[in-house]
Amino acid sequence: MTSARTVSRLSRILALIPYVLDRQSADVGEIMERFGYTEDQLTRDLNTIFVCGLPGYGPGDLMEAYIDEDEVIIDAADFFAKAPRLTPSEALGLLAAGLTVIGTGEASPALESAVAKLSKVVMPDADTSLVVDVLDQSHHVGVLRDAAADSKVVKIVYRSVGKEETTEREIEPWSVFATLGRWYVLGHCRLVEGQRTFRIDRIKELEVLDETFERPASVPEPGVGYSPSKDDVTCVVDLQPAARWVLEYYPVDVLSESSHKTRIRFHSPDAEVPARLLLRLGTDAQLVEGPEVAARVEEIGRALLAKYR
Amino acid sequence: MQNVVERVLNLLIYLLESPTPVTSNDIRNTVHGYADQSDEAFHRMFERDKQVLRRLGVPLKLEALDVWEIDEGYTVDPEEYAIPDPRLDEKERLALTVAGRLVRLGGTEAGVGAIIKLGGMERGDGLEPLGADLGEGVEVLGELFGAISERRKTEFSYRGQPRKVEPYGIAHRRGHWYLVGNTVDGERMYRVDRIEDLKVGAESDTFVKPKGFDIRSVVDSQPWEAGTDPIVETEVRFDAEVAWWAARSLGLAEPNDELTVTVPVANRDAFVGWVLSFGDSAEVLEPAEMREAIATRVSEALGQLA
Repeated sequence: MTSARTVSRLSRILALIPYVLDRQSADVGEIMERFGYTEDQLTRDLNTIFVCGLPGYGPGDLMEAYIDEDEVIIDAADFFAKAPRLTPSEALGLLAAGLTVIGTGEASPALESAVAKLSKVVMPDADTSLVVDVLDQSHHVGVLRDAAADSKVVKIVYRSVGKEETTEREIEPWSVFATLGRWYVLGHCRLVEGQRTFRIDRIKELEVLDETFERPASVPEPGVGYSPSKDDVTCVVDLQPAARWVLEYYPVDVLSESSHKTRIRFHSPDAEVPARLLLRLGTDAQLVEGPEVAARVEEIGRALLAKYR
Repeated sequence: MQNVVERVLNLLIYLLESPTPVTSNDIRNTVHGYADQSDEAFHRMFERDKQVLRRLGVPLKLEALDVWEIDEGYTVDPEEYAIPDPRLDEKERLALTVAGRLVRLGGTEAGVGAIIKLGGMERGDGLEPLGADLGEGVEVLGELFGAISERRKTEFSYRGQPRKVEPYGIAHRRGHWYLVGNTVDGERMYRVDRIEDLKVGAESDTFVKPKGFDIRSVVDSQPWEAGTDPIVETEVRFDAEVAWWAARSLGLAEPNDELTVTVPVANRDAFVGWVLSFGDSAEVLEPAEMREAIATRVSEALGQLA
């Protein structure tokens, strides 16, 4: 068994040594910030370095490492003049992070050149073999990020996910984040007077107002979820295996599961969303419970058939 | 852990400094921390330490010591050990630091491990209210990424079926990671979270990617473009209420009024589903067979109400 903590501690030591060697000495505060050390951790790692070295392990064989008047000093460690190469996971992680930010269309030229330089050394053909896109087809991500950073109120025209309707509202954006391949903005919505998460691709128009707002002292962790309210429409649906993708796209409760059938409960503010879903699923889904949803499926279905036949 | 950290550092120094490969016996008798261990205990410690070295990114190799290949020794080439320097300037390192902290992969900050090796995190300033979660555990992704960059063949189980794939690239799209690679049946795409029992071949450079391969052309397509049905050019009209939203999904300029577009459909099922997600705010105009496909699906759905 390999402990992840052992590996990450060694990894930091092997990065710290070349950094300090390169500069002869470095300020303790700077080292702590740069490598994410607490003072105790740094002292402990320097003490470890100090007792290791070349076979023989006599005074002339061991590395030197100590703190002298707020300076970190490391010597006699030429074999560690460079950090070890990146593992594939590390390289992918950093490239993916850079590409994600570039995908917003808001990246600085510095990030673009950094990613280009980095891929040159870890994967020269990365531009044709690695894609990390969290798409922002709306081009609103950058504007909303700036508004959040400046605590500016934003007026949006929004097509809500739960109800297929378009509304205009003022929001106080706190943070902008991407998950499951989509961008969201989290903040206070003045229309519903509460905290809301909006899908950015569903914002039709937006305008940053001059008005600023008071940012809450602590902003909640971003997350996408749906908290049902008592006015919700609820239905129970059996999904065939071909319709299991629904579990990945909608916040549903799985009631039971077998190899040939998955029973789910679906909450939404009105019957529109589940009704459309049932229409597109055809024989891959069966409504078990939910009279309002059945009525809406009937209604839209009839309207569609009248158009098509 | 303290003992392990010291022992691995000493082992690595010995390997980097030895001009020729060293046997496990040399290591046992030389490196501080292995002495006074039983055969079994030494073997266990040494296996574990080699594992730690590999996870650190150390290129540990086993080489024959003589032409008869009777004895084998371990070696780490200092040239290969050293990180290739991308020569980032301070601004570039800051930009990468910020990006590395914003993006989460497998539940941790995606780039921080790498940034530390590249010389630590540059000091940034101010609030950055942006974040992104790329999901998925990084283990399988890292192995695939390594296999792609070194052109190693892979084998895995996918939905219970064994697959042999020459990995060409990976992509994060619509919230999931996909592997694109070549199989005996041609190029295929796999969702990474459904890959099980991944094995990466020991040999590198075992295949050549076709010239002009671009993963974007594989993953960029709309769900209804990626199919095996004969392509049918289909005309759809969207009401003004939803036209901007449909245009955005199609990557078109957003209209002020209603929208009529023609799209190539190679997967009829996916296309019918997409059009019906607009309820009665979208209508297929041409051809008749596609209108019929929509009507059939609607009738089926109504039939399910019973």
